[in-house]
Amino acid sequence: MKTDSAELPRAASIVSCWRDPFALTVAGVAVVLAFLSLYPTAMLFYGSFTTAHLGETGKLSLANYVRAYTDPATFTLLFDSFVFALGASVFSLLLALFLAWVTVRTNAPFRRIFELTAIVPNIFPPILIAISWTLLLSPSVGMINAILKSIFHLTESPLNIYSLPGLMFVEGLILAPLAFLIISAALMGMDPSLEESARMLGSSQFQIMRRVTFPLMRPAILAGGTLNFVRALESFDTPAIIALPARIEVFTTKIYREALAAYPPDYNLAATYGVSLLAVALVFVALYRRFTSRVEAFATVTGKGFRPHTIDLGPWKFVASGGALAILIMMVVLPVAMLFLISILPYYHVPTLETIKLATLKHYAYIFHNQRVYKAIGNSLLLAVCGATVAMFLAALTSYITVKTKIFGRGLLEGLTFLPWAFPSTALAIGLLWGYVKIPLPIYATIWILLIAYVTRFLPYGLRSVSSTIVQIHRDLEDASKACGGGFWTTLRRILFPLMRPGLIAGWIILATIFMREFSLSLFLYTPSSEPVGPLLYFLWLDGLTGPLGALGILVSVVSVVLVIVARRYSRISG
Amino acid sequence: MHKSRTARGAWGSLFLLGILLAAVVLAWSPQVGAQSLVDAAKKEGKVVIYGSLESESMDAIAKIFTKKYGINVEYWRAASNKVLDRVLTEARSGRPLYDVVVTNRGPMLFLKKENVFGKYVSPESANFPEDVRDPDGLLSPIYRMGVVGILYNTKLVKPGEAPKSLDDLLNPKWRGKWVIPDPSRHFTTGVWVRNLEEFYGKDWLTFAKKLADTKPILVESFIPAAQKVLSGEALAGVTYVKYVYIFGKEGAPLDYVRLPKMLADGHNVGIGAMAPHMNAAKLFEDFFISKEGMENLAKQGEFVTTKGLYPPIKDAEKIKPVAMEELSDADYKKWSAEFQKLFVSK
Repeated sequence: MKTDSAELPRAASIVSCWRDPFALTVAGVAVVLAFLSLYPTAMLFYGSFTTAHLGETGKLSLANYVRAYTDPATFTLLFDSFVFALGASVFSLLLALFLAWVTVRTNAPFRRIFELTAIVPNIFPPILIAISWTLLLSPSVGMINAILKSIFHLTESPLNIYSLPGLMFVEGLILAPLAFLIISAALMGMDPSLEESARMLGSSQFQIMRRVTFPLMRPAILAGGTLNFVRALESFDTPAIIALPARIEVFTTKIYREALAAYPPDYNLAATYGVSLLAVALVFVALYRRFTSRVEAFATVTGKGFRPHTIDLGPWKFVASGGALAILIMMVVLPVAMLFLISILPYYHVPTLETIKLATLKHYAYIFHNQRVYKAIGNSLLLAVCGATVAMFLAALTSYITVKTKIFGRGLLEGLTFLPWAFPSTALAIGLLWGYVKIPLPIYATIWILLIAYVTRFLPYGLRSVSSTIVQIHRDLEDASKACGGGFWTTLRRILFPLMRPGLIAGWIILATIFMREFSLSLFLYTPSSEPVGPLLYFLWLDGLTGPLGALGILVSVVSVVLVIVARRYSRISG
Repeated sequence: MHKSRTARGAWGSLFLLGILLAAVVLAWSPQVGAQSLVDAAKKEGKVVIYGSLESESMDAIAKIFTKKYGINVEYWRAASNKVLDRVLTEARSGRPLYDVVVTNRGPMLFLKKENVFGKYVSPESANFPEDVRDPDGLLSPIYRMGVVGILYNTKLVKPGEAPKSLDDLLNPKWRGKWVIPDPSRHFTTGVWVRNLEEFYGKDWLTFAKKLADTKPILVESFIPAAQKVLSGEALAGVTYVKYVYIFGKEGAPLDYVRLPKMLADGHNVGIGAMAPHMNAAKLFEDFFISKEGMENLAKQGEFVTTKGLYPPIKDAEKIKPVAMEELSDADYKKWSAEFQKLFVSK
């Protein structure tokens, strides 16, 4: 008679372990996770250490590393990558700090609106922000440039997005919400008594900020900065739109150039740069983890039930709101407006009063009638629905095992989910190509390699969502089910899954919105028959079809808004 | 004596008859061979094609082929470098899913060098001029030419003001107003710039530098180049002449400059050495390059090499395409670095 498998004595026979559904599930989850994350990693390394072409087997050698690191251009690439990532993360931090401070600590009017910043990335894909800003700041067709030129009677465009500062600016805007989330959470959880004491001792507002608030916030700022640094280093969306035409070489564009744009493609060098990027990313993600653990260790979150003191800015509060509004305009309003504008213009031009007469819906008609667009939307929907379902199922099991059980080796499972979290999309894609080219299943060059890629890369997002619900479920409920004779699967199906539902649904929707317009992985793994929306947006851009691009971008964003609203409702129920 | 002469004559006529018979049999044999090929192909049931030919153009031919033989055509269309990549990777991994490859000559020669293709000389290749046939029998004849010329926007450029030669683009009034795919990135354009030697002799690089100095708008490939001319962002551009028809049939204001000679990129068909549907592949190539196939392709705006067939573009029969010399991958690497300095230097 065995009822409670989790508490089986360690000495239990292997035979009974084999028949135990719980042990089987744990083993199954471990194998799947290991395969998803370790296999492409191993194959990425293999690709970088062999001279055999993709699809062939060959001897191991260091030749690719010699080739990569004796090329003087590699050092320019390293330097530019770091400068870009540093510039983008510092800029994003400045924006995030200002926004967080205004929304959490001041009495600036309309500050609640600025909190919406946090959900921007869930709605607006980075590639569309980059495209919109290119249309605003391109030296040849940029709208802001055209306006500046006509106001100041200039012959040359004053601003050029195709530059390192342009790249940092756009990436900084894209990354700001991530830092905002971390910093505003830390600001909200800060113990106000420390500031109170300083005030009592006669410090001015500025002194408090410099001597108390800022040092207390330092771990959160470091954590946000490190995370954004590594996200910028890994990002491919903005570099694809801006760095490629500007001839600025960063890690991800180099991987793209070797794997997709070279004649003929060189997957060995792509893998070599991929390994380098992965190594750098792992170092910085580890650093980030240290900083976040310090955030918790710092005695700023005390669970006392009051919010920190609100600073009265007096008349300056309007300036603060104005500043925050300006940031929000740059992050959301301008890009959306631009996208909407190109979607209703018959051809791209700087709008005048007569433009209103020209406005057309033909691009919306185009995206509903064009075969390729139609197919891409179908592919993306399939990937979103299947991918999110598979990922959430896996996430639910994983988080149950790591959070709720004390089974041996659960730390290992957690470790396995850490790798995809840090894995740069471009490097993961190259690893998957190496991994699946020889496997005699219809995965390579089909839609299923995209599904595997999505689930691997974004599983951590699902985990985060479901873990927050699972910690709230008391163990008694499981025990009650078991006491009534429910087995492991019955308990999971009848008790745990229903209780986890809000977290599962919220996570499912977040993953579905990400999968709907995923770009960086897809560009490397798609084939024309499995083309999803992300790469299609990019190709519409390359082909200069700004009208259909705008229409499709608006459509995808509207679908995301609806999904996000639903997701927030569910996560509120859970929280 | 006399008798023997008659005997000899009888033997002689018998011999002649034999030759005649043999000739008849030989003359019939392609038809006989074709019939067995058709049967074998039908048994295979489908043919898988990877290529960069526009889907619409392929569909037009595939439809007739399927109707005629009952063999389904699966066409996977991608840019030529993506076709090269996928074919190469599948061949190297030993799991080729394609039967037929149809793309530009540069990638085709590269694939040929990598032993991707099997030998097949279609009986239809006899209809093509000797100089477009492949001496090794691994590729089909160059069945069409991608003619590269100068297109301009007829709404924004008055007929008299259009450039009349490549040299006209050097005129300051065109500075920054014409478009060309970036020759350091786009393979065919790189080959095109290198082949300017055909017109300018050893001064070609000097001319290329002058072209670059006019600061043309650089794009990724020929389609966006045509799009920029269409949208008016550029007034003229270097791209495929066929877009005059392809975009023009939808009412786009495009025409091409009547250059005395135009450089052109050849296209071939190849059959995979390990094609899963070998007979269907052969039958498809036969049909594709047959007069019927070529007529349909010409109707789609393509410059086919079969004598007497022209695309529905004004004055198409007067165009003199000059086949470009292809660049090896090592040469392309070298020249693309050079073109980057010329065209993209900051």
